[in-house]
Amino acid sequence: MYQSFIGLEIHIQLLTETKVFCGCINRFGDEPNTNVCPVCMGYPGVLPALNGEAIHLSYIVARALNCTLSPQAVFERKNYFYPDMPKNYQISQFSSPLGRNGWIDLEYQGKKKRIRIHEIHLEEDAGKMIHAGDMSLLDYNRAGTPLLEIVTEPDMEAGEEAELLLQNFRRTIRYLGVCDGNMEEGSMRCDANVSINLEGKGLGRKVEIKNLNSSRFVRMALNYEIERQTENLDKGVKVIQETRLWNENRDVTEAMRTKESAHDYRYFPEPDLPPFIPGAEFLARVDKGLVELPEARRARFIADYGLNETAADFLINEKATADFYEEVLKSGAAPDTAASWLQFDVRKILNRGNQELAGSPLTAQRLAQLLSLLAENRIHGKIAKQVLEAVFAEDKDPARIIKEKGWEQMNSPAELAALVDKVLAANTKAADAVRAGDEKPLGFLMGQIMKETGGRAEPRLVQKLLKEKTG
Amino acid sequence: MESLFKRWVILSDSTMRKKYEAYIKSTDAKIAAFLEFDVDRGLGLAAEVGKGGELEGVPFAVKDIIAVRGFRLTCGSKILENFVSPYTATAVEKLIAKGGVMVGKTNLDEFGMGSSTDNSALGKTNNPWDTERVCGGSSGGSAAAVAAGMVPFALGSDTGGSVRQPAAFCGVYGLKPTYGAVSRYGLVAYASSLEVIGVCARSVGIARTVFDIMKGQDEKDQSSLNSGTDAPEPEAGVIGVLGGNLGLDPAVDRAYRATIDFYRSKGFEIREINLSMADYYVPVYYTIATAEASANLARYTGIRYGYRPGYAENPEELTRKARSEGFGNEVKLRILLGTYVLRSGFQDQYYQRAQRLRQAIRADFDRAFTRADVILMPVFPTQAFLRGQGGLDQFQQKLADRFTTAANLAGLPALSFPAAVSDGLPAGMQFLAPAFGEARLFDIVRLYEEHFPCPQPPSCKPEWS
Repeated sequence: MYQSFIGLEIHIQLLTETKVFCGCINRFGDEPNTNVCPVCMGYPGVLPALNGEAIHLSYIVARALNCTLSPQAVFERKNYFYPDMPKNYQISQFSSPLGRNGWIDLEYQGKKKRIRIHEIHLEEDAGKMIHAGDMSLLDYNRAGTPLLEIVTEPDMEAGEEAELLLQNFRRTIRYLGVCDGNMEEGSMRCDANVSINLEGKGLGRKVEIKNLNSSRFVRMALNYEIERQTENLDKGVKVIQETRLWNENRDVTEAMRTKESAHDYRYFPEPDLPPFIPGAEFLARVDKGLVELPEARRARFIADYGLNETAADFLINEKATADFYEEVLKSGAAPDTAASWLQFDVRKILNRGNQELAGSPLTAQRLAQLLSLLAENRIHGKIAKQVLEAVFAEDKDPARIIKEKGWEQMNSPAELAALVDKVLAANTKAADAVRAGDEKPLGFLMGQIMKETGGRAEPRLVQKLLKEKTG
Repeated sequence: MESLFKRWVILSDSTMRKKYEAYIKSTDAKIAAFLEFDVDRGLGLAAEVGKGGELEGVPFAVKDIIAVRGFRLTCGSKILENFVSPYTATAVEKLIAKGGVMVGKTNLDEFGMGSSTDNSALGKTNNPWDTERVCGGSSGGSAAAVAAGMVPFALGSDTGGSVRQPAAFCGVYGLKPTYGAVSRYGLVAYASSLEVIGVCARSVGIARTVFDIMKGQDEKDQSSLNSGTDAPEPEAGVIGVLGGNLGLDPAVDRAYRATIDFYRSKGFEIREINLSMADYYVPVYYTIATAEASANLARYTGIRYGYRPGYAENPEELTRKARSEGFGNEVKLRILLGTYVLRSGFQDQYYQRAQRLRQAIRADFDRAFTRADVILMPVFPTQAFLRGQGGLDQFQQKLADRFTTAANLAGLPALSFPAAVSDGLPAGMQFLAPAFGEARLFDIVRLYEEHFPCPQPPSCKPEWS
């Protein structure tokens, strides 16, 4: 039996206003080479100046992932030539990264599991090179944008587990507001490494996999690679330590030219930047930047609100949804009702319109109002659903919609009694049948009353009146 | 203070300006200190600021390794021969803000690597005292321009003696400030942890004024610092001097003895000090400097700016050609050395070891300054040397950096001054002080200047100098 060891190297682009060592705008998708200056273009004589926001967000991530924070984060130069890297060295961290020895807790196959974080370090991103025919084009807009690298220990065993970790991690950074976690656009990138060995024999020869543009590809590539290595070992063929690329068209990993993996980065401390020493005030600000993380929130939702796991999972997936939910609860809505409305009715409308909850006409106040009208019996369930649709369609408060459309529930006994009399008179056959002891036509009569009132009659009262008048 | 620059207020008056430009034209034909000279552009930069100040109308020059917007920034290299800077160094900005007129960029050893300025790919600069001799380096153009009376001061950069040594060769004052006292923003990096912008000046007072304007923390240079205190420095009483055989040329040795005698006669206590780490200065310096240079010079690839070969098959070949055709031999040598000492597996033997020794050198100076207020030593074992036969080869020049590199390794301020003129050539000495002790240096050298004012080369004596 073989055992597999999977580790991930995750890069996330931090959502700072400006680049990590200069004042250029940090923004994706602009005209090439417009967000550049002498510093991020590596002009002669310029110096980097560390962006306080970038280091702040970095420490927030390190805290959230339970890392030991370095009392002195040292920047170093990582030397290699590549046309999209203006200085031909990358300012990164090596000997003293800002965070070490953290962890992420997962629930994988019904068991709790802790994936250790080896280290977290801050570095600058490179630009982009595009080959077009016999030309190579360079765009330096991305050069110098802040990039945080998170390196896990090889604590995972299967592609599914790595995929889960990535999803979990992505949710966490989105909660923290440090990165949008978009793997397609490259704001979150992941390289994976995997080795297999006979059980109990420790790590095998490590293979790195690059070009993984989604968490699905991470899973597929790792599972492919585990199978490939297993077959090799079964046949008595040695696994070569190498870097392989995921080919997403053929669903296989392919060996990269070996030349490219033989780098000697010649790290040495960056003389232009003093080590960053987080003071008490800085650390207090980092603590302020922490929020309740998704896993903790999920547990609390289940414990405090009595939600089932499916509902809790749905609600905590996006921080905005979870915040919205708790905002609705503040006005006294029942937790299970509110959860169910968000999980089914609201989600259905959002999905139909392909929109997000945040920024939609449905505010927490409006949903709260709707649920309270329902709880007070001023509308009943079917009307409530119509009101919800109308909130999205007309961008108005539920109370106003009910008033304008005359949808408020009829619950005056005198008014309803007259209506019941009218319906009984008009349907003598059914009325007589009920009086003779056949309860079946009651539903029909009820339907007639609802039809008369456009569904607004309070059903329990109608039922009571019907029974009295046919008893 | 006004009188310091009085005679140098040349560019506020059109008659004076004409005379000045004529003088530069005829003088620089012999000296070749400037790589670029343009009074109009300098006045334009000053006019953008407008206010004026104590340097109004005063010309100054800048070593062509420091950025000034609109001027070329060649670094004495073919690889940047046509590069025009889009921005201005902080130190230069501060001088322009005081009204100073940046009239031109001066020649240097390519990227600051050398002791003669002959390593410039863009021309040779001659010593104003004897045009057969080198002007020193790497800030040779700046020292020569000041010595020849073309400017009252010129900025240089000092990585291992590059301000003080040419100042000594040309007979002017040369200040290497405390590391971090002057912003390096705009100084093209050769060895970032060692270098600082300094000044070659016609008088101690000028050097002091220029330093006071340039100094101070800059948010664009996070290695820059404000000096701890503005409290007046206590006057130096004890001067530390070096004993034993220093391997000096006779003229320099005589000048050293004479300088010691002068200060003794002025009531200073002379105390011999032992700098036990002295043998390590040069090897440690060349290990650290080349290591940093190998990274600092990696950006010159011909892709975004600078020299570009006519044809290349792919980006890698473009980079290879640009570098092999654009860099001179001394630069290539230092890049190779630096790459070598940083290789993984060899770092501990070279780079890390050099860093540990550097710590020991600092500690050695900390100890020395408990026994002396300032340390007096020669700048260079020789006076300005001849080109070719009878001069110094590249390796001898490196060994001769043994008195200058100490201040850079320890981050200390040092001020070189013309101590004597012997055989028709100046000989320079330098004082070193604890970090941020520049005032102490100015005070003690001022005393010497009062008795022995700055000498002038016989053929270069304009009316304002």
